[in-house]
Amino acid sequence: MLTKLAMTGFQKRWRDYLVLFSGLIMSSAIFYMFESLATNKTFLKQNTGISMVGIIFQFGSVLLTIITLVYIGYANSFLLSMRKRDYGLFMLVGARKGKIGQLIWLETLLVGVTATLFGIIVGTLLTLGLSQLLINSLGLTLHHLSAWYFPAALTTLLLYVGLFLLAGFFNLLALTKTPALKLLHSNDQPNRPKLKPARQLVEVIIGLISIAIGYWSMANLDKLQMAGIGIALVTIVLGTYLLFNAIFVWLVVLSKRLPFANRGLNGFTLSQLSFRIRNYTKILSIVAMLFALALGAITVGMGFHRQVPLMVNGGNAYDMGLVNATHSQQQQIKALNPTTESTYRFKVGPKAVYYRASDFDRNPFITMDQAGHNQLKFTTAHNNAKQLLKSRTSYQLSALQGSAQQRLGTQMLSDAQYAKLTQPEQRLTVFATQDVTAHTAALKQLATSQRHRDAGLTGEMLGGRYTGYQLINSMYSGLQFMGFFLGVAFLAMLASCLMFKILSGAAADQHRYVMLDKIGTRKALLNGALRKEIAVLFILPGIVGVIHVLFGLKMFSFIMVGSPYTGIWLPFLIFAGLYLIYYLITVQIYRRIVLQ
Amino acid sequence: MSTTPIMTVTNLHKTYGKAGSKQYEALKGINFDVNAGEFVGIMGASGSGKTTLLNMLATLDQPTSGEVTINQQPITHLKGNQLADFRAKEIGFIFQDFNLLETMTAYENIALPLTLQNTAAKKIKPAVETVASHLGIAEFLNNYPNELSGGQKQRVAAARALINEPAMLFGDEPTGALDSKSARELLDLFTTINREQAVSILLVTHDPFSASYCQRILFIKDGKIGQELKRADLSRKDFYQQILDTLGTFEQ
Repeated sequence: MLTKLAMTGFQKRWRDYLVLFSGLIMSSAIFYMFESLATNKTFLKQNTGISMVGIIFQFGSVLLTIITLVYIGYANSFLLSMRKRDYGLFMLVGARKGKIGQLIWLETLLVGVTATLFGIIVGTLLTLGLSQLLINSLGLTLHHLSAWYFPAALTTLLLYVGLFLLAGFFNLLALTKTPALKLLHSNDQPNRPKLKPARQLVEVIIGLISIAIGYWSMANLDKLQMAGIGIALVTIVLGTYLLFNAIFVWLVVLSKRLPFANRGLNGFTLSQLSFRIRNYTKILSIVAMLFALALGAITVGMGFHRQVPLMVNGGNAYDMGLVNATHSQQQQIKALNPTTESTYRFKVGPKAVYYRASDFDRNPFITMDQAGHNQLKFTTAHNNAKQLLKSRTSYQLSALQGSAQQRLGTQMLSDAQYAKLTQPEQRLTVFATQDVTAHTAALKQLATSQRHRDAGLTGEMLGGRYTGYQLINSMYSGLQFMGFFLGVAFLAMLASCLMFKILSGAAADQHRYVMLDKIGTRKALLNGALRKEIAVLFILPGIVGVIHVLFGLKMFSFIMVGSPYTGIWLPFLIFAGLYLIYYLITVQIYRRIVLQ
Repeated sequence: MSTTPIMTVTNLHKTYGKAGSKQYEALKGINFDVNAGEFVGIMGASGSGKTTLLNMLATLDQPTSGEVTINQQPITHLKGNQLADFRAKEIGFIFQDFNLLETMTAYENIALPLTLQNTAAKKIKPAVETVASHLGIAEFLNNYPNELSGGQKQRVAAARALINEPAMLFGDEPTGALDSKSARELLDLFTTINREQAVSILLVTHDPFSASYCQRILFIKDGKIGQELKRADLSRKDFYQQILDTLGTFEQ
């Protein structure tokens, strides 16, 4: 009988359950996505070449677990708030506590396990889709990535089932210890926002100090090593929470005194915010952290993506060197619209390659040289024969030669001396295009044809920017992919966290909006109030998150050549777009719940 | 006291359920007027249709047919912003369960109708203070609803309903959740407001004591007005007795 009653309660509130389910499915799907990378050791090893990445992922796992814990806590309290009335009713009609306890366990576990199983399926599909999308749009090469990865699924399932067992236990305690009548009338009570200047000042100071320590340790990661990430994680989370706790209250109370609070529903919106202030500071600090992680991951991912051509261009001034280019190869080069193209004649002796100096004097050979330490600034030098021999960058010529000549020395001869040599004359054609990354297909064709003619020219021996591109791209692909993948995953997690939190309060707001409607509030004003309230909850953690990222990016200056800050507007813009979409969805769902 | 009607109700019908399916007629043709400055009660047992009627009169629901005008304005077909503005300017509500926003202080609750109209901040404060002192809640203005007693909450609700100086004040069992002392105080307050500020009041109740404060009572039974009772010059006590007698025979 009770089971039947429970089921009818379930059917009645299927819409609320839908919110709960989709939130949980998203959460477990994202956790699975993360784990599918984090637990896949071969993938990490093969695609990064940076030993720290494994450890960073372990930190990430811990962090995500903590966030999941909080998330499930919210989901559970949402579930509990939905069922309180029903359980109170069951108790009133005389159900035994043991029986109700059974029901609670059953329901919590059922909801949890079903959502997790669905979540793993969704996660597999998302991993597949997202990785395909990223690989195709970024031109990445990845090895050993599989969307379905059993250890990841197992980890996800174990964690979630464990958490839901815990949640069920908690629900059992919470519900069976509360008297039936209280369960029937369990509306949340407002907590008067109090200004305690001394305490809040201390909170602000400790918060600022913690954040400062966090920023400092991120900036000095080269000295602190792994400990730095740990310190930063703890101090920044703590500092963010304290700051939100102290400043948010002040902000709301102070803005209530401003004249704008007396216009339309602004006062109502502020009251709504202050009503839930305590609940929201926790979620807002988590969201700010997630925001920073997501935005940081995407920014770093894009940073790596942007670095590839920069590093490639610094390695050599020419895309490729072809020895004795055929007529068709020359046609292909011409089709590429090269920005520079030179041909040098040479003869190969037993110990050296002999060039005609006059060729170099007529067409100087361009070399690249690093302008400073760890900077992506390069100087180009136009070398005649003499200059090239003296230059420390003369290897850039040898690298472009055919396979047999790369180990030989280079000699520059006058035309007369050159003519005396009896060896057959050969030609080296070097050229550069505007952008090597834009012409990879055509360059690949040239490289293949050249390898057919010169069997010794394996992989890296072709020299020039094209080879550099291939090398660096494969090295950075993994990092880029992880950056984007994690960015999107964190973003989805934070947005569903926030969305869920906001939506779980919607049911309680419903009667307030009905009341406002009854006393004659225009629909447009109601909509505006709703949009503003949710906007504040989205924007505040966003601002804090952005600040965290701006400081956090410093961490990456030691694995990224050049500044990690160049061109960050693009990832910021992309991120803002995605964030905005989440905001609009939240407003839409909230409106549907509140203004039916 | 003038005798021009502030509200006229003509042939009001309300049928629940779609055509074809099982229908239930809650109101079967209601006609009456309320004069400006009048204090009218509507009585009836549970299920008699009195709440349905109130919802129609207060623009919370639309009748199946018939017309209601308040202040010479037909209200049954108002929609959207017109409807919202009408509610905000012309009518005030007091509900059994107070319907205060528990996230806002008493002051903010009372000021809400004014801020909705974007009234200048300078005007809001004195207006709230005046109405609050009238209703004897000046000292509770900074309290949240959950810090107030039932009677105080209902007076805050009354202040919010009155601050826009509405043409019509509707009360839906306003004393339903109050103890007898608070109920008496609130009803005395209604009488004072009605006399001194000439606010027309329509009270829906099933409680004879509350009804005895009215000048005229309409009895509803099965969706129709069955009987009308006027207080005229009777004392409240005698009127109360008369209501009890009427109820005794009316409900048979």
